[in-house]
Amino acid sequence: MITEHWFWFCLTAVCVIWYSTVTVYVAFNGIVDIKHMLEELKKSL
Amino acid sequence: MIHFSWFLDGSIIGCYLLGTMIAGIMVRKYVGKVEHFLVAGREMNIYLGIASLAATEFGIVTCMYTAQNGYKYGFAGVTPGILMALSMFFVGITGFCIKPLRDSGVITIPELLEKRFGPRIRWAAGVVIVLGGLLNMGVFLRVGGEFLVLVSGLNVKYLEITMTVLLIAVAVYTILGGMLSVLITDFLQFIVMSLGLVVVTILILARVGWSNLVSTVELHYGAGGFNPFVNKDMGWEYVLFFAFLNLAAVLTWQTTIARVLSAKDTKTGQMVYTRTAFFFVCRFLIPGIWGIAALAMLKPDSMTLLSAAMKEQSSLYGMPVFLSTFVPIGLMGLLVAAMLAADMSTDSSYMLTWGGVIYNDIMAPFRKNKWSERRGLLWNRMIVACIGLFLLVFGLWYKLEGDLWTYIGVTGTIYLSSISVLLIACCYWKKANSWGAAGAIIIGAVVPILFLVFEKVPVTKGFAKTIGPYYSGILTYLLTAVAMIVGSLIKPQHIKADVK
Repeated sequence: MITEHWFWFCLTAVCVIWYSTVTVYVAFNGIVDIKHMLEELKKSL
Repeated sequence: MIHFSWFLDGSIIGCYLLGTMIAGIMVRKYVGKVEHFLVAGREMNIYLGIASLAATEFGIVTCMYTAQNGYKYGFAGVTPGILMALSMFFVGITGFCIKPLRDSGVITIPELLEKRFGPRIRWAAGVVIVLGGLLNMGVFLRVGGEFLVLVSGLNVKYLEITMTVLLIAVAVYTILGGMLSVLITDFLQFIVMSLGLVVVTILILARVGWSNLVSTVELHYGAGGFNPFVNKDMGWEYVLFFAFLNLAAVLTWQTTIARVLSAKDTKTGQMVYTRTAFFFVCRFLIPGIWGIAALAMLKPDSMTLLSAAMKEQSSLYGMPVFLSTFVPIGLMGLLVAAMLAADMSTDSSYMLTWGGVIYNDIMAPFRKNKWSERRGLLWNRMIVACIGLFLLVFGLWYKLEGDLWTYIGVTGTIYLSSISVLLIACCYWKKANSWGAAGAIIIGAVVPILFLVFEKVPVTKGFAKTIGPYYSGILTYLLTAVAMIVGSLIKPQHIKADVK
């Protein structure tokens, strides 16, 4: 089953791994972005 | 039996809703100007942009239709997601259209179009964008409510009131904080939504099994379940139509392009596109697998609880029915919170960005004298409130008659075909003028509406069926481009400004 439809198997595996990784990565870096954005907006008020 | 515990799952959902509301309302103090309200003062950085774009472009309605694609076409149903990812990566890496758009410093696409085509085209483009977008969005609430009712086992008589309360909550923080609240809540919603999507998908892969999913697709659709070109309901015309549609959406869909316009600079906007591109494969593949799992696991008697109207669309409602008995207590709370997050992020962003076009472009003739920031903010907030009210009446309390997909397809194509052609011509064709732009807007609206009429009239019904929605869609994009070229060449005009 895996070798027969290797494209869809690989795409599914990549999707799950990529999405899990990106979620964690964006969760940490997004907080830094929010902090920076609010600091800049505070200056412009 | 439905696996929903009001104590455990309800607590998870309550905590999520409370956290979102507090975060959304708290940032209102940073909104002092219209630019803060509409594009977050252009201070959005890459990771916040990725979270916001992904959360906005995935609502419950997206989950339902992409799962339906998996149920109806197997893995081949993921094709539009792959095409969208390719389009977004191409646009992000090359800066095609989005670079001149962001460099110009405009708040909306019609504002850029005015520089080349004049104020009338800006106004007309604004009207087309708002009509197409809002009518498209009008069906989101009801479909979202139906998903929640089926998954959680909520009494259907509470559907309207539940979705009304949810929409009011979203409207409150969007009205107060504008794009800032949208970005902050999108960030939280992205995390909750992603967690739910990944965990449920892993559970399905572990319990249903890859072999079971593949053999189900083979049994029902044969080779066509894995390859869109040999699928009897898809073919090359399906692929080409979605290639056009997705490129146009990446370039001009208001909620997507708002992230480029809110980015701190052009390079950041492009990076948000390239780094979010692969999410659009996940956006189709993950719910697609849920749909295939529903096809594999549901028994004929599983649909007995559905209403007669729902039974007619078992491919659409199969996925929530399957999840209601498959996902265990505790995880069900996470799933519902994830879907609420998906829906709330979509609703808030749609209300704000389409409201922005109404204020910035449709109301432009009424703002000849510069308005104060206070007045501008008040008007923007009132517009968002009115859009919320429209969604409530049109999308929830008004029962839409007819085929939902035709409705979404027509409203989407009217907008995407003309505005994408206008944007490309505005950025890259020096001979493009207002005649061509007007022609493109008219043709972009006439062809899909004609197809719809042909489908309804008995004499032309057969002809419309022969053409089909995909050829008609491809024709719309091609004819809109032809109208732009012919119109511009018929009456060459003086070029008003270089948009770059």
